Amino acid sequence: MPEIEIEEEDYESQLTAPVLKRILGMIKPHWKMALGFMVSIALTSMVDSYFTFLNKEIVDKGILLSDFDQVLRIAKIYGVFIIVQSGMVFGFIYLAGILGERVQYDLRKLLFNHLQKLSLSFYSQTAVGRMMARVTSDTGRVSELVTWGILDVTWGTVSIVTSTIFMAIINWRLALIVFAIIPLMILTAVQFRKRILVEFRGSRKANSKITGSYNENIQGVRIVKALNREKENLKEFQGLTDRMFKTSYKAAWLSALFLPAVQIVSSIALGIIVGYGGLQISTGFITIGGIQAFVSYLTFMLWPIQDLARVYAEMQHSIASAERIFTMADTEPEVKNRTTAIPAKTLMGKIQFDHVDFYYEDRISVLSDFNLKVEPGETIALVGPTGGGKSTIVNLLCRFYEPQEGSIKINGLDYTDYTLESIHSKIGIVLQTPHLFSGSIRENIRYGKLSSTDEEVENASKIAGADNFIQEMSKGYDEEVGEGGNLLSVGQKQLISLARAVLAEPELFIMDEATSSVDTLTEALIQKGMENLMKGRTSFVIAHRLSTIRNADRILVIEEGKISEIGTHAELLRLKGHYYKLYTQQFRHELEVQYGVEEDPRLTGSAVSS
Amino acid sequence: MGLGNNKIDTFDFRKALSKSNLKGIWWLLSDYKLAYIGATLSLAFSATAKTFTFLLLKFFADDVLTNGEYIFGTLKSTLILIGSGFFVLAVIEGSFSYVSGRLAAYTSENIARRLRDFLFDHIQRLSFAYHGNTSTGELIERVTSDLDAFRRFIGEQSIGMGRIILMFTINFVALISLNVKLGLVSVIVIPFVLLVSLWFFKKIKVAYEKYQEQEAILSTTLQENLTGVRVVKAFARQDYEIGKFEKTNWEKFLRGKKYISLHSLFWPLSDIVLGFQLLGGFVYASNLAINAEITTGTYLAYVGLVVWLIWPIRNLGRLIVQTSTGLVSYGRVLEIVKQEREPLLAGKIQPDGPLVGEVSFESIFFQYEDGVQVLKDINFTVKPGQIIALLGSTGSGKTSLVNLLPRFYDYSSGSLKVDGQELKDYPRKYMRSQIGIVEQEPFLFSRSIRENITYGAHAGVTETEIIEAAKAAAVHDVILSFPDGYDTVVGEKGVTLSGGQKQRVAVARTLLKNPKILILDDSTSSVDTETEAEIRKALNSLMKDRTTFVIAHRIQSVMIADLILVMDKGEIIQKGTHEELLAIEGTYRKIYDIQTRIDDELKSEIANAL
Repeated sequence: MPEIEIEEEDYESQLTAPVLKRILGMIKPHWKMALGFMVSIALTSMVDSYFTFLNKEIVDKGILLSDFDQVLRIAKIYGVFIIVQSGMVFGFIYLAGILGERVQYDLRKLLFNHLQKLSLSFYSQTAVGRMMARVTSDTGRVSELVTWGILDVTWGTVSIVTSTIFMAIINWRLALIVFAIIPLMILTAVQFRKRILVEFRGSRKANSKITGSYNENIQGVRIVKALNREKENLKEFQGLTDRMFKTSYKAAWLSALFLPAVQIVSSIALGIIVGYGGLQISTGFITIGGIQAFVSYLTFMLWPIQDLARVYAEMQHSIASAERIFTMADTEPEVKNRTTAIPAKTLMGKIQFDHVDFYYEDRISVLSDFNLKVEPGETIALVGPTGGGKSTIVNLLCRFYEPQEGSIKINGLDYTDYTLESIHSKIGIVLQTPHLFSGSIRENIRYGKLSSTDEEVENASKIAGADNFIQEMSKGYDEEVGEGGNLLSVGQKQLISLARAVLAEPELFIMDEATSSVDTLTEALIQKGMENLMKGRTSFVIAHRLSTIRNADRILVIEEGKISEIGTHAELLRLKGHYYKLYTQQFRHELEVQYGVEEDPRLTGSAVSS
Repeated sequence: MGLGNNKIDTFDFRKALSKSNLKGIWWLLSDYKLAYIGATLSLAFSATAKTFTFLLLKFFADDVLTNGEYIFGTLKSTLILIGSGFFVLAVIEGSFSYVSGRLAAYTSENIARRLRDFLFDHIQRLSFAYHGNTSTGELIERVTSDLDAFRRFIGEQSIGMGRIILMFTINFVALISLNVKLGLVSVIVIPFVLLVSLWFFKKIKVAYEKYQEQEAILSTTLQENLTGVRVVKAFARQDYEIGKFEKTNWEKFLRGKKYISLHSLFWPLSDIVLGFQLLGGFVYASNLAINAEITTGTYLAYVGLVVWLIWPIRNLGRLIVQTSTGLVSYGRVLEIVKQEREPLLAGKIQPDGPLVGEVSFESIFFQYEDGVQVLKDINFTVKPGQIIALLGSTGSGKTSLVNLLPRFYDYSSGSLKVDGQELKDYPRKYMRSQIGIVEQEPFLFSRSIRENITYGAHAGVTETEIIEAAKAAAVHDVILSFPDGYDTVVGEKGVTLSGGQKQRVAVARTLLKNPKILILDDSTSSVDTETEAEIRKALNSLMKDRTTFVIAHRIQSVMIADLILVMDKGEIIQKGTHEELLAIEGTYRKIYDIQTRIDDELKSEIANAL
């Protein structure tokens, strides 16, 4: 994953009118804050320039004329402006800071809410890491641009402009020398910034490779030791750290060279002004205070120029972030309600796959001309090899995807005529690798029906067979499940997800049986829970357990996107075909586990990826 | 400044352990101490040059303009000299500032690289006991983020603090030399500001950590939502998820607001205090100037200098607070350095040829460091080329037993002889070079399949050898079926290898190694029927002419063994050949009976169905 992120960060984009418009559109609702911080920073910067001017006045009108009252008069103005400026500093930090947080908040909300609408096809094409990067780092970068970026540009521009105005007021001829040198300073600064950024990114890239290398070597330490690879690995790793050293060292010394270089350029102007101005003091062409002011203005001009260069160099990456955010926000969900869709009253009816063709994004056909009729209340077991199409049938049935050709009919009506919510709210699903959310067991079960009482939650888990183990936990139903449920075993997670499905009281039940190890007792509990759940409901089970297969009303052997065999357990055994082979293999395996001969109850070629 | 001086072989970081924190860090700077001192000295020179710029201004104003006596003959030549003086000082200041930055970066980047290399090597040489008890994430966190924090401590924070302190000292000395009273008046509020900034930045640090914590929570919520998209959709819980995310998102906004608020209070408050300190100094100084206690030139120099004395102080507080983080990170890195490595080359005997492959266990006992007894009184002898099968349930000690051979762990008591010599007398590296291990789910590295096969092989391995090994491992055809053949990168672009394919790549890897002793975790349960035969073929070709230890899961794979060890709770409860063990009452026969019974049950089951 880090590899991918780096690739994305390398991506640069030029600012175009539509993107700019949308970026500005994000701060539009908060335009008062934006205006506020821009005014504050502009005033702060103007006051700074004014301070330098006041310093000149103290010298010229106070000290040189030996007029202490003048000094005090100027000091009063000075004092007032110190207070005013502090207020402005408070204003811009507060407003820009809060606006930045607010824009991030808005963007995260926009993206998250949109992600909820997007179809599974989007999810299967986009790595979770990438989606996360959109919502976290990209939003951060964009909000940085619209707050601190704008702030730095405002500050830099206003500083340079007001400084030069004051310099022109003091002596416009000398100011011309400064005008001449400013573009040169900016040019130097930008060139430096760009090269620093290149090296900096190089070092980021090297860094992520180093992390990857650490990770792999730690995970594979057994192999490393067994194969005596230590020396060679270290040599390879040193190649990486060498690259890291070269890039980050270069970035660092370029940074160290940057300010001095700009400063030396400005000192040329400084030398000329002091020399030429000094020559002219006796003529009244300029005062001592005036020269001092020029020295100050020139010295402090370094900072705004540095900031402008930084923003300019980094802007293209922030714009690329903004584009990625907008692209995601503009993605249309593939599966969505038709405008004429009506809520489905019930799913308890005939379900029919009618000449269904289906392929995923890679356009390789998964199902072709698939036909199936299921009566209400029937239990269908799906068996067959990985990649045969079992998961796809379930995905289509849940309407996570829709068929490209043909239709799926519920009660005689194409299911795309119904609203998605009405279908989903009547489906109960238990996945092979059960997904739980951080929080308590109770909260996880309640996910099936948010309005349920504690009693209902407990009843549901009794039906699912989860109640016993939950009661044994020290906090019972309030026990935390950990991130992604990782404090629980796979079997426990499955029981909880069964209870969750029971609570939802679905009309259509879909289960992808786990293939991973579950102890015998839990296994029996899951079986019983499943049976309870399937009662009186239409059920589809991607089956790996003998009892499930045997109890099904009909068994479908799915191979290469087609039903290769269909019938009851006895009928299919009699065929002595694929089912017979699968079943005998599974039978031997399961009993071996049951008798404790075999340890690892993973099933033949049925690791269904979902 | 070449890259050559990367002496991690001779540089032992563990020497830093015996020292106090700061002494240890100073010691870590070995080889770069001069560079680091140079960086600090350059800083001082640079700051001094800056101070002299303002003293030159004083010289300019006083001696040249007010007195009318020119040191260098005419006004013109004097001014040209002063003008170029400004330029030269800027060049000196800039050059030293650059040299300082470059030397600091040189030091910190080199130290970081040396530490990275050391840690990488150190970690791969730590014992299994350590790796077993440490989470990968935790380790990586320490060698990346903590190391980087330490690098910043050396290269940025310490240097930054040095810069501020030097600047303060030099400018303060300059001020005092201009006028003692004036110098003292100018720093009245400094201690107070320093204390307040320390207090503020501690608060800001806490607020920032809270903000970061919320960021982590937000990431988890987001990730759970994205990975659980099927559950969210299946229960139509989009609105609920939106609500949940909204809560964490808003909380992050609030925490960000708090963090910003602290900043927006600190900066303007310190602005006011320092602003009035400056202004007070100006007024006082101008009074002195008007009363002719100081010259106008001195006043000008004062105004220039005092700014560099006062403003940086605020940042000192920030740096001091950050430094504490750097030291904590240093401590966390040392935690790893502290661990003992396992010596690879140490051993009483240094054999130069391959092993023959005779192994004998004589009352071997083994317990982990925590005192858990894993192996009890293990006795058996193996002749070269024999096959030994280990049968038993999880936790019976099979894996622990074979882990002793490559010296992954050392037995606690008893005698384990290989070719008649005590195992502990062999160097670990030698033993590992003689033993091949094929695990049930082998770890492959995310590099090309070719590199995975040659991982650990001698440097001159030819393409023909690789292909022959792959053919013998029955994986050649599979590899060719991938788009990039042998150059296919494992785990990339959707090329995922199945468990069986991984195992066969590992077999090829082991064939290339040509070990005398083989350890085989023989599980074919994760593989479907067609490939089972191929794997069996591959394994058979691997076992030829080698002493082989097979961790077996089913009777089929132990039948061919020369010696079968039935294990339970760390003990050998039965040993013998298949025929011998069948002839007597015991666990082995029980397992065998079950297997036969399963076949019978299957027959009757099918008969019933028909």
